[in-house]
Amino acid sequence: MENFAQISKQRWTSGFIGLSAALMAVLCANIFLGSVKIDFSQALHIIMSGDDASTLGTILWKIRIPRALASAMGGAYLAIAGLLLQVYFRNPVVGPYILGISSGATLMVSVVMLTSLQLGLTQIAPYLTTLAAFAGAYGAMMLVLAAAAKIRQGVTLLILGLMIGYLCHAVTSILVAFAEKEQVKGFVLWQLGSFSGFHQSEIYILFFGGGAVAFGVYLLSKPLNAFLLGEEYAASMGVNIRLFRILILLAACALAGMVTGMAGPVAFIGLAVPHMARLVFRTSDNNVLAPGAALLGAVVTGVCDLLARLLFSPVELPISAITAFFGAPIVIGLLLRRRVVS
Amino acid sequence: MNGKPDAAIFTQDLCVGYGNKEVLYGLDLSFPPGTFTALLGPNGAGKTTLLRTLARLLPPVRGKILLQGKNLYDYSASALAKRLSVVLTEKVNPGVFSVFEFVSLGRHPHTGFMGRLSGRDLDVVRECLEWVKAADLAHRQMGELSDGERQKVSIARALAQEPEIILLDEPTMHLDLKHRMEVMGILRQLCREKGLAVAASLHDVDVAARVSDMAVCVAKGREARSGPTEQVLSENRVAELYEFEGASYDASLCTLEMRPKASREKVFVNSGMGSGAGLFRLLSKHGFSLAAGVVHANDLDCFVASAIGADCFIQSPQEPVGGDSLDNALKSALQADLIVDAGYEIGPANQNNIRLIQAALSAHKSVFSLRSKEDAQTIYGKDSSSMILCNSSTELLEKLLAASRPGLHGE
Repeated sequence: MENFAQISKQRWTSGFIGLSAALMAVLCANIFLGSVKIDFSQALHIIMSGDDASTLGTILWKIRIPRALASAMGGAYLAIAGLLLQVYFRNPVVGPYILGISSGATLMVSVVMLTSLQLGLTQIAPYLTTLAAFAGAYGAMMLVLAAAAKIRQGVTLLILGLMIGYLCHAVTSILVAFAEKEQVKGFVLWQLGSFSGFHQSEIYILFFGGGAVAFGVYLLSKPLNAFLLGEEYAASMGVNIRLFRILILLAACALAGMVTGMAGPVAFIGLAVPHMARLVFRTSDNNVLAPGAALLGAVVTGVCDLLARLLFSPVELPISAITAFFGAPIVIGLLLRRRVVS
Repeated sequence: MNGKPDAAIFTQDLCVGYGNKEVLYGLDLSFPPGTFTALLGPNGAGKTTLLRTLARLLPPVRGKILLQGKNLYDYSASALAKRLSVVLTEKVNPGVFSVFEFVSLGRHPHTGFMGRLSGRDLDVVRECLEWVKAADLAHRQMGELSDGERQKVSIARALAQEPEIILLDEPTMHLDLKHRMEVMGILRQLCREKGLAVAASLHDVDVAARVSDMAVCVAKGREARSGPTEQVLSENRVAELYEFEGASYDASLCTLEMRPKASREKVFVNSGMGSGAGLFRLLSKHGFSLAAGVVHANDLDCFVASAIGADCFIQSPQEPVGGDSLDNALKSALQADLIVDAGYEIGPANQNNIRLIQAALSAHKSVFSLRSKEDAQTIYGKDSSSMILCNSSTELLEKLLAASRPGLHGE
């Protein structure tokens, strides 16, 4: 028994070390590689000196570093949100967008991007899309939380989330039908997500706000584990179900909403990374899985963003295209080999 | 039954149901430590509803539930989890967990904020696995277990909460015979040796009668009955509880017998000392209508024949076969179409039974016997030449079926 536990512990430790190293490597790659070639030594010098005034300095400090950090944090938070909802709904095909968060964000963004509403708001125009996405994502979250306080069954909530999604899509489609071609292209690209153009303030929000929520999730890993047995067993083991349900949904929506607001909907990460983490760590113990999925999400998203930038450089691909195109076959392959679903 | 103050759980005028819909009402139950209580009743009677209410997973419609003398709803969630645990019917699929890790989840109410397991926690988990005889499963993955193993492990998880009462919803559902017996054995042991109060809803009355100390019978629209199993599970009450048609329950043997509708002629079976029990079932299964005699009231044949619904001619155990019983049996045998001699040992108490067969032979009835040729000759003399001798009950059945004309005599 001890021996067995030790083997698991070793696997976990090596998993964490390996993933941390991979994350460092991906961050470096994202900073040093790009369409504009910068010498390694030169880049190192610019970073060390903190020079952000020169052209290369601007590229590194204002573009690449924020983007590398944003993709890592965004991926980590989406993975955590996905893990939370998969545990809560006890359903392996659930992702962070199942509750209508991306649909809500998309709806609000379509309103500002596809109508002439923005004409009167030139003052906040640069932030308008982000603000709209936030409003949409958290609006959908409020709806879901209000419903969760009344609805007892998880499945009902799931269906409600899907319905909210369909409703939002319906309105979005109508707006698309009436919109002009140019606007539609911009909107479609937004829908596929991108980690480009993150402001420093957004990075801070992601780091401190998201970090706090993610740490909170880690603290919830004990009741999360109890939840793996289902709501009734969790209740019978002393979990305060009502409080806990609200906390899970709040944390998942807050994380997914934050990332969606800033980067747009990023497909696949939230759904697939928890599965990949289970395969890497070979456990469903959320004490291990929550940090594990976060690290893995950061690595996977970082790699995908790197590919999105470099594959057809200087043309940049939408991040969702890469995550799904390369990620889905990997997950299918892993699942077929190990037959681990939940 | 009267609630004792030391009862693990004690209910007062409890009414359970969903919302305002009452399913069971007027429940005054008590679950003392060290006793096994079986909840019995037909599907949909409210066994699960009652268990869920006792486990605080469902609020009672009205009435009181006291856990160790204190209102169930006055406990904090984790204080309750340290006293009461459940095993539900829902098949748990926790994901990628070893059995040991899974059982450790039961330590939830005892561990700290992050759920780290102390040395004592590990000891308890190990002990719980030993209680359910699953120590050898500790390393296995949950996904690899059979239903029976999974159920044992589920019980270990419930035990890991170190409760004083365990509530189980149909713990033997979907299990094979070996595991069914093993699980019941484990639950009994937990009552006897660990002093737990165990309450389980069960479908098998016969199993319940053998393992439970107390029984609670619930049926829709009727008052629940509870008390010592031996008192509660009488023949009539069991038949009434499940609204038996074409089946019966024998309380002294704890067995259920089918009573299929007869579709063939009457067979009179002359048996004794257990020689007929198997035959009665065999023949009744194939649609023969049965008469049995003369059997002593303490003979196994008598229990089985009555349970199966045969016309029985019964003699008091103190008397040798004779008198009214024999006269009535004679009449019945002569009216029957086929006669069977089960081939029992003849002694002073039952030697008059020979007269039944002899009478049938002289009336030129078809008489089938399981005796050997010599044996038949010694007992019945030269009349035995017209007897149809069979080596086994299978052969007997074949010959009876050949002689039978179905439907003509059916009732």
